[in-house]
Amino acid sequence: MTIGEWAGRLRYRYVPDHVVGEVLGRRWTDNVIPVTLLVALTLYLAAAIPNFISVGNINDTARQIGEFGLIVIGMTIVMLAGGIDLSVGSNFALANVTALALINVAKWPVEAAIAATLGVGALVGLINGFLIGFLRLRAFLTTLVVLTLIRAFVDLLLEAYSVRIASSDVESPLWDFVGAGSVLGAPFSFVLLIVTAIVAHFVLTRLRIGWRLMAVGGSRRAAYNAGISVPRTVCLTYVVSGVLSALAGTLYAARLSGAGPDTGIGLELTAVTAALIGGNSVGGGRGSVGKALMGAIIVSLLLNGLVRLGLPNGASSMVVGAVLLIAIAIDVRWIRWRHSLRAKVYVSPAYLALPAAPLFVSDPSSPYAMNDRLRDVEVIGLGEVDGPEDVILDLDDNVYCSLRQGEIVRFLAPDYTKREVYAHVGGRPLGMAFDRDGSLVVCIAGMGLYRVNNLRKVEKMTAETNRSRLSIIDDSRMRLADDLDIAPDGKVYFSEATIRYGFEEWVVDALEGRGNGRIIRYDPATGVTRTIIRNLLFANGVCMAHDNKSLLFAETWGCRISRYWLEGPKEGTAEVLIADLPGYPDNINRGSRGTYWLGLAGTRTPSYDMAMTMPAFRRRMARRVAADEWLFPNVNVGCVVHFDENGGVLESLWDLGGENHPAITSMREHRGFLYLGGVTNNRIGRIRLAGADPDWTGQSSYWGNRR
Amino acid sequence: MKSSKIALAVATVLSLSGIAAHAVAQGIDDPRRADYFKTFEGKTIAFVPVTMGIDLTEGWASVMKKQADRLGMKFEIRDPQFSADRGAEAITALIAEKPDVIVVHNPDVQSYAKLLKRAEEAGIHVVQINMRSNYNSDVYVGADWIGIGEAEAQAVVDKCGAGTSGKVAILQGQPTSGSDSGMMKGADNVLSKHPEIKVVANQAGEWDATKAHSVISTVIQQNPDLCGVIGFWDVMDLGAAAAIKESGKPIVLVTSGGGEQMACDNVEKGVFEKEIAYQVMDQGRDLNDMIVTVLESGQQAGKLKAVVYSPQLVISKETLRPGLCWSAKDLKK
Repeated sequence: MTIGEWAGRLRYRYVPDHVVGEVLGRRWTDNVIPVTLLVALTLYLAAAIPNFISVGNINDTARQIGEFGLIVIGMTIVMLAGGIDLSVGSNFALANVTALALINVAKWPVEAAIAATLGVGALVGLINGFLIGFLRLRAFLTTLVVLTLIRAFVDLLLEAYSVRIASSDVESPLWDFVGAGSVLGAPFSFVLLIVTAIVAHFVLTRLRIGWRLMAVGGSRRAAYNAGISVPRTVCLTYVVSGVLSALAGTLYAARLSGAGPDTGIGLELTAVTAALIGGNSVGGGRGSVGKALMGAIIVSLLLNGLVRLGLPNGASSMVVGAVLLIAIAIDVRWIRWRHSLRAKVYVSPAYLALPAAPLFVSDPSSPYAMNDRLRDVEVIGLGEVDGPEDVILDLDDNVYCSLRQGEIVRFLAPDYTKREVYAHVGGRPLGMAFDRDGSLVVCIAGMGLYRVNNLRKVEKMTAETNRSRLSIIDDSRMRLADDLDIAPDGKVYFSEATIRYGFEEWVVDALEGRGNGRIIRYDPATGVTRTIIRNLLFANGVCMAHDNKSLLFAETWGCRISRYWLEGPKEGTAEVLIADLPGYPDNINRGSRGTYWLGLAGTRTPSYDMAMTMPAFRRRMARRVAADEWLFPNVNVGCVVHFDENGGVLESLWDLGGENHPAITSMREHRGFLYLGGVTNNRIGRIRLAGADPDWTGQSSYWGNRR
Repeated sequence: MKSSKIALAVATVLSLSGIAAHAVAQGIDDPRRADYFKTFEGKTIAFVPVTMGIDLTEGWASVMKKQADRLGMKFEIRDPQFSADRGAEAITALIAEKPDVIVVHNPDVQSYAKLLKRAEEAGIHVVQINMRSNYNSDVYVGADWIGIGEAEAQAVVDKCGAGTSGKVAILQGQPTSGSDSGMMKGADNVLSKHPEIKVVANQAGEWDATKAHSVISTVIQQNPDLCGVIGFWDVMDLGAAAAIKESGKPIVLVTSGGGEQMACDNVEKGVFEKEIAYQVMDQGRDLNDMIVTVLESGQQAGKLKAVVYSPQLVISKETLRPGLCWSAKDLKK
C-alpha cells in the first residue's frame, strides 16, 4: 500500500464528510448569515467607534432596539403567514400622536391612553387584515395604500394637535417610566421586547394558532385543505402587527414626546430589511422570532453606527437600501443554494474494505455453492402480494406477510388460497415477530415500531429513541426500522438500517458504505427506548439466539453476522459471527434443531467490492451521474443460508434459474417447511425441508406451545 | 594702534546695534494667551443639525469648523437627515461619548428636551441654534422668531389692505418647531390688530418645497383671490412661489430665511416680496463666541442660560445691494 492510499483510507474513514451535508440540512443553518453579519458588524463598529461597546451606549441602543424590535416582530409574524405590512411606519406615527394627544392634550390617565392607543393600532391592523384576509386584496398594495391613508390622517391630527402637544408637559411617573425607565438595569422597552419575543416564540412554536399561521405561510392552499381558516389567520397577523406597531409608537411617544411629521417615515422599509436580513422569508412559512430579533439588532446597530460614523447626507439611506437588496438576494438564493449544495455533499462515501468473499460460483465444495434446491418451491399468492419483505406464520399455520402498500396480508391455512388484509398499518412494514400474547409486532419504515394486537388494532410502540449527543441530524426519530426480535422478558430488539436515508434511498446508503445503522431496544414494561449499538453498516436482520443469551444481527453492506451478548461475561459487547458472507444478508430467523436461517438479498461482485474501497470514485459517481446509472450492489441473485450456533455454514439454497426466488430477504421454518419472502418479489414460496423437525414452529420456539 | 581703535569702534557699534536689536524685539507677553489656547486644545464640539445639505446648517458648520481647526478642537457632525428619532439616537450616543459641547438644531421643541437635560447633567454644554427646545440649556443662539413673525405679517398687511381681498395664507414649516411657534406668535400679534386680514389657510409644508407647492396650489384653487402668503422658510417657500407663478396671480409672498444669495436673487426677480433674514454667517460667529465662552468660563454645564438673538436683516427691492447676501457656494473655498 502506498502512503497515498493509506492517507486516503484514513481520510475517508475518519474525516466526517457527512457532517457538512447534515449541517446544511438543518433549519438553523438559515441563521448562519445573520449571525456572521451581526458579529462582523459589531466588531467593525466596536473598532471604528470609540466606546461603542460601553455600558451606557449599549443601554441606549437597547432602548431604541426595544421599539424597533417590536415592529420587526410584528412584521415577521405577518411575513410568516405569507403577507407583508407596509403600514407599520404610519401606524407607528399614528400611535405616537394618539398617545401624545390623549395624554398631553386630553389629559387622559396614562393607562387608559396606552390602552386606547393599542386599540387604535389594532383597528388599523384589523382594516389591513379584513382587506387582505377576507377580501383577498394584495398585501403589498393594500398596506401601501393604508400606509398613505394613515399618514394623511396623522398629518391632519398633527395639524390639530401638534402645537398643543408641544406646548404642554405631563408630569407622570408612569409615563416617564415607560419612556426612560429601567427594569433590573435594562431599558423598559428592551425588557418589553424580550417578553414579547418570548411570548411570540411560544405562540408560534407551541400553540395551535402559531402552527396554523406557519402552515398558511408555507402553503395557503394546503392550509385551506387541512381545514385551517386562512382568512382569519391572515387577518390575525395584521392585527398583531398593528398592536405591536402601536406599542412601539407608544414607547416612542413616551421617550421623545415629539409630535413631528417625520415620525416613522421609512420605518416600513427598515422593518422589512430587518426581518429579511434576520433570515425570514418574504414568501412566508420560514422564519422565527429569534431571526426577527437578530435582524432588528443588526439594522439598529447599522443605523446607529452610520449616524455615529458621521456619514454624509443620504449615505445611510443608501446603506439601508443596499442591505435590503442583499437581504432579498440572500432570501431568494440561499434556500436554492443550500439545497443544491446539500444535494451535492450529503452523500459522503466512506472507505470500506470487505474480507474476500467465499467462492460460491467456481468451488462446488463450498457450502455456498450455487444449486437448484429452490426449483420445486410451491408458490403462494402469486401476483397478489407486492414485496413481501418478511413472512411469518402463526400457530394455526396461517402465513402473514408485510407488503409495500402498508398492509399486512395473511393467507389462510391449509391451502393458502384465501387472502385477507390482516391489518393496514401504513408506511412500509418490514420485519415482523409474534410476542408472547400473540400480538404481531412489526417494524415500519418511516414510522417506527408498531404492534397489531389480537383484535387487529394497530398501536404504536415506539417511534423515538434517545438522541445521540453529537449527532447533527436528529437521530431520535426513526427513519428506517427494519427487523426485530423479542426477548423472553418482552424487550423488543430492532434494527434501524440507516439514520441518514429513507427506505426508498437504501441504495444511496449502500453507495455511502458508512456505519449509519443501529440496534435499538424497546422495553414495553417501562416504555423506554434506547439505542444500544451504533454505526452499523445497514443493520438488518435481528434474531434472538436459541438460548436467549445473545442476539444475532446482520449488517447488509458489511456482509457479516454478529452476536451481541445480552448476558454473561461478554454482556453488552458484540463479536462477529460470520465475517465473510458472499452476499448481502437480510433477515435472520431461527430454524429447528438449533440452527438459523439467513436470507441473502444479493451477492457480492468484485467490481462493487472494489468500488467500496474507492470512496472518491463513488463520490464522483454520486455527483456526476444520474442515480439510475450508478454502480449498484447486486440484488438480483441471492439465496438462503443455513448456519449453526457457531456461525458454521451448513448449506445454502439457490434458485439457479431465478424463476421464483432470485433474491430472498426473509424465510421462516414452520412444521418442516421453509417459507420464503422477497422485498421485490410478487410471491411467497414454500418448500419442504429434508431433515427438519416436522413439529417445530417459530412460535413454540419462542413462547412454547401455548395458544 | 589705529587698527585697534577701528576694531574697538567696530566692536562698539556691533554691540550697540545688538542692544538696539534686542530693544526692538521687546514686547509684553499676554499671560492669558497660553492658557487660552490650552483651554481649547483637544476639546470636542459635536453638531447635531436637523439635516445637513441646506444653506443654514452648512453655513453654521463651516464657520464652527474653521474656529475648531484654528483652536485645535475636534468638530464632528452627526447628521440625522430630518429624522427626529435618529437625531435622538445621535444625541443619546453623544451623551455616552461626552464631547465638551453639543450644538443642537432642534426639529421641534419637545423631542430632544429630555435628552438635552440629560446631556447637561452629564456635564456637556448644550448650545441650541435657531430652533430652540422646551429645555433651556446653556446657550440659545438664533433668530428672534417673534420679531420675524411680526415683521413678516406687517409686510403682508401692508400689501393686502384696502382694495384687496385681504385673504392671507400662512405656510408654516413644522408647527411644533421652535421657529414656527415663535413666528406664529409674532404673526398673531400683528394680525390680531388687523381684522380686515382674513387668514384663509394655515398649514405646514414640513420644510419641503414639494409639499409647500401642493399646499399653496390647493389654497389658491380654493381662494382664487388670495392676496398674500406668509412663508416660514425661504427654501421651502420656493415651492409656494412656483405654485403662485403657475396660478399667474399677483400674490404677495413674504418669507424668512438665512439670507443666502438665493434670497437676494429671488427678491430681485420679484419672487419674494420680502425676506426677513437672520444672517447665517453672523449666527455662526455668535455660535463660535458662545462655544468659546462656555469653555473658557469653566462653569458647570447648564448654569449659564444665555440667549443671543440674531439681528434681523430685511431683504427687499429697497435694501438690495451687492454683498447683502452670503453665498453658500463660497463656503467651500
